[in-house]
Amino acid sequence: MSIEAINEQLLRAIGVGVALVDLQSLKIRFRNDTFASWFGEAKPDESLSELLPDIDTQAMIDTLDTGGPYTAEATFKMRRRTMTVAVEVSHALDGTEKIAILVCQNITRIKELESMIDSYSMMVERNTLQIKREKEQVEKLLLNMMPRSAYEEYKTFGVVSPRMFDEVSVLALNFVGFNTLLEEHDAGVIVSELNDLYTAFDRIGEQFGCERIRTNGDSYLTVSGVPEPLLDHAQSVAKSAIRFIRYLNQRNEGHPIIWQARIGIATGRVVGSVVGTQKHIYDVFGPVVEVAEDLRDMASPMTVATHAKMADLLSDGFEMTECPATVSTDTTAQTLLQLTEAKPLNN
Amino acid sequence: MEKTLFEKYGGFSQVSRMVLSLYNRLLDDDDIGPFFDNIDMSKLVDHQTKFLSSLLGGPASFNDDHLVRAHAHLDIKEEHFDKLREILTQTLTDHGVEPQDVVAVVSAFDARRPLLRKS
Repeated sequence: MSIEAINEQLLRAIGVGVALVDLQSLKIRFRNDTFASWFGEAKPDESLSELLPDIDTQAMIDTLDTGGPYTAEATFKMRRRTMTVAVEVSHALDGTEKIAILVCQNITRIKELESMIDSYSMMVERNTLQIKREKEQVEKLLLNMMPRSAYEEYKTFGVVSPRMFDEVSVLALNFVGFNTLLEEHDAGVIVSELNDLYTAFDRIGEQFGCERIRTNGDSYLTVSGVPEPLLDHAQSVAKSAIRFIRYLNQRNEGHPIIWQARIGIATGRVVGSVVGTQKHIYDVFGPVVEVAEDLRDMASPMTVATHAKMADLLSDGFEMTECPATVSTDTTAQTLLQLTEAKPLNN
Repeated sequence: MEKTLFEKYGGFSQVSRMVLSLYNRLLDDDDIGPFFDNIDMSKLVDHQTKFLSSLLGGPASFNDDHLVRAHAHLDIKEEHFDKLREILTQTLTDHGVEPQDVVAVVSAFDARRPLLRKS
C-alpha cells in the first residue's frame, strides 16, 4: 500500500470530520467517513451552506483572506439527537487552487453536559435560596425565644451558659379581670388582642432598651440590663411602664374590650440562661423577678408600683407616691410606691 | 438525617452519568424517542436532569401540578409508561443502583402515572 493510500485511509478513519471545500464554488470536494456519517455521502454539487447553514460563508472567506482560520459552531440533527460540532476552516497548504480544509470536532457531549450543569446549578441555586429563607425563619423563631447575644453563643457553642447580671430592672405586668374577659369573649378574639398588646409592648420596650423575657397568658415580663448591661436600666423599665399605661389608655378609648393593666417594677440581680434541652427558652431568675410580680399584684389597675430601691434610681422625671400596701408578701416587706411621670415624658 | 438515594449514589457527579445514559436510551428508543423529536436539546437535558434528581431525592422537586402542565400536550399512553419504566429500570441497574433502590425509584415513577396518562 502506498503512503498516499495509507494517508487517505487514516484520514477516512479518524473520529474527526474532515472535508475539503472549493472556496470558489463553495462545494464540498472530499469528505472523510466521519464527516459522511454525520452529513451523509457525497451528493453532486452539494454546497457548504446546504450542509452547514450555521456557517456564514462570507465571514469564512473574509477570515481566510486575512490568513486566519475561521471557527464556528454548527448544529444539526442526527436521528433525534441534536449534534454540535466545532468547525475550523483553514487554507490547504498546497497548490494554486483555492481549497480549504474543514475540520469538525464533535462537541455534542460537551454541549449536553453544559446544559445539564446549567440545569443542575439552577436547581441548586433555587434550593440554596430556599434553605437561606428557612434559616432566616428559624433564626427569627430562635430570636423570639432568646436575646441575640444568647442566640450567637448558642449558635457557636451549642449551649448558653448561665450569667449573673448584677444591676438590672424587671417589669412585670398582668391584666385585671383577665379570667372574666376570657369568659365574656371568644378565646380567639382574646388571643388576637393579646397578640396586639404584646407586640406593642415589645416595640415600646425595645425603644427603651428592654428585652421581653416571657409571656404566660396575661402575664408579661420584660427586663432591662439583660443580656447587655445598661447604665439606666431603671429609667428604661420605668419609661416603658409609663408608656404601656399610656398606650392602653389610648387603645381603650377606641376598642370595645377594655384592658386594664397592673405593673410592678423592681431592681436587683438576676441570672440569665437558656433553659431546656429540646425547647430552648431564655429566662431570668432571681428574687427581683418575684418582687416585681408581687408589686404588680399589689398595684391598683392602670398604675405602676415599685419599691424604694428602684425609686432611688429614678430621681428625674418621675414622682413617687407612697401608698399603703394592700397585701404584704415575704419578698416585698417594704413601702409600696406608686410611680407616675412628673411631667409628660418625651417620646 | 437519612441519606437520599441521590447522596447514596454519589451526588451529581454520578447521577449526571445516569442522566446522560437515560437521555441516550430515550432518544434511541422508537416508542419514546418520537416525543422528543422537536424538543430543544438543552430543554430535554434539563428535563431529564430534573426527572432523575427528583426521583432520587436530589435538589429538584417537581410538584404534581408542574408535571401535569409539562405533559398536558402529549398523548401519553400506558405502553409508553411501560417502556419508560423498562428503560429507567435498566439504566439504574446498569449504573449500580441496588435492586431495592431501583424498586423504590420505579415505584415513585409509577405513582405519577395517573397524573399524566391520557388513556
